[in-house]
Amino acid sequence: MNRIEDMPCDEALDLLEPYVDGDLPTAVADCLRAHLETCRSCAGELALARRIQSELRSLPQLDCPPEILERVRSQGGEVVPFRPRRTGLPLRIAAAAAMLVLSLGGGALFVHFQQQPRQPSAAEIAQATQEARYALAYIGKVSRRAGLDVRDDVLARRLVRPATRSVSLSLGVATQEPAPVRGEQP
Amino acid sequence: MRKTIIPGLALVLFLAASALLAQAPQKPQKPAPSPGFVPLAELNLFPQDKLSAEVNLEGAILRLVAAAVKQEDPAFSSMVASLRSINVQVFPLAGIDAGAVKTKIDRAVHWLEDRGWKANLRVKEKGEETYIYLKEQDGQIVGLTVLTFQPGDEAAVINISGRIDPAQIGRLGQSLHVQQLERVPAGKKPH
Repeated sequence: MNRIEDMPCDEALDLLEPYVDGDLPTAVADCLRAHLETCRSCAGELALARRIQSELRSLPQLDCPPEILERVRSQGGEVVPFRPRRTGLPLRIAAAAAMLVLSLGGGALFVHFQQQPRQPSAAEIAQATQEARYALAYIGKVSRRAGLDVRDDVLARRLVRPATRSVSLSLGVATQEPAPVRGEQP
Repeated sequence: MRKTIIPGLALVLFLAASALLAQAPQKPQKPAPSPGFVPLAELNLFPQDKLSAEVNLEGAILRLVAAAVKQEDPAFSSMVASLRSINVQVFPLAGIDAGAVKTKIDRAVHWLEDRGWKANLRVKEKGEETYIYLKEQDGQIVGLTVLTFQPGDEAAVINISGRIDPAQIGRLGQSLHVQQLERVPAGKKPH
């Protein structure tokens, strides 16, 4: 089967533009030419493409106004070096690593300050001093009271009871045991 | 989209890092309690919200107190410097049935005796009771606990732990007066 006969119209239409521009390889151009000789429709399309191309070429060439050129030169005077576009992956990895380091550091600081005991203020120390003195004063108060009771007990046991007993004996009266001891000290 | 993901990721990482660090083994915050320490809160002698005075001082603040009064009152400073804790609870008994409190005082006395505390003084008179208990370790007094119960007036428990010289505490206590100290405005004491 011949290649010329095989070329369908849609393929031929796709090749028209590069053909008009002279960009097709010779073999392909020969095939297309063979198809165009037998296909009126595609040959009409080729004629249209050539007419459009010639009309575009006949348009006048416009020059850029000099003031615009001057402005572009003054603003874009610096030569911008070409930098190849980076892929996003390394930047993202670096950002994630930095974030991790910051998070760990921040977390460590947060925990550190949470655990740090707060230094009491001068007022709190003065308050604590007052409370310590109060505790001692309370012990003093209790021991004063208890000391008095002990002394009373000692007096009752050593002086009052013997005296009562001797007076009762001399009077021939049965003595009654005094009230139980008020305090005891082991 | 990325604007919301990155801060969110940072927050998640921050919280995760904080949680991990918080779980990490840390230095013990509090030393083991002194053998002369009595956990008043555990004994639950008095209702906490009805105390007329409460003192809870521990090692660090006691050392600061000792340093603060060193020049002005050297005896008090040296006594406080050797203490590990001072705890006081005073509960007013005026106008209330003191029976329940008396029962709790008796229970506290048993609690102390069960744990090797020795009675230094027991005074019972006209319904009033006072107990002074000492705790010894290796021939040294390491704890002093005073329990007092005065119906119609107040009940109190005082626990002091550390290196204790009862004579020194007695001397200092005799020189101080509760009434004078009560006139000075204080945070926790009296409420």
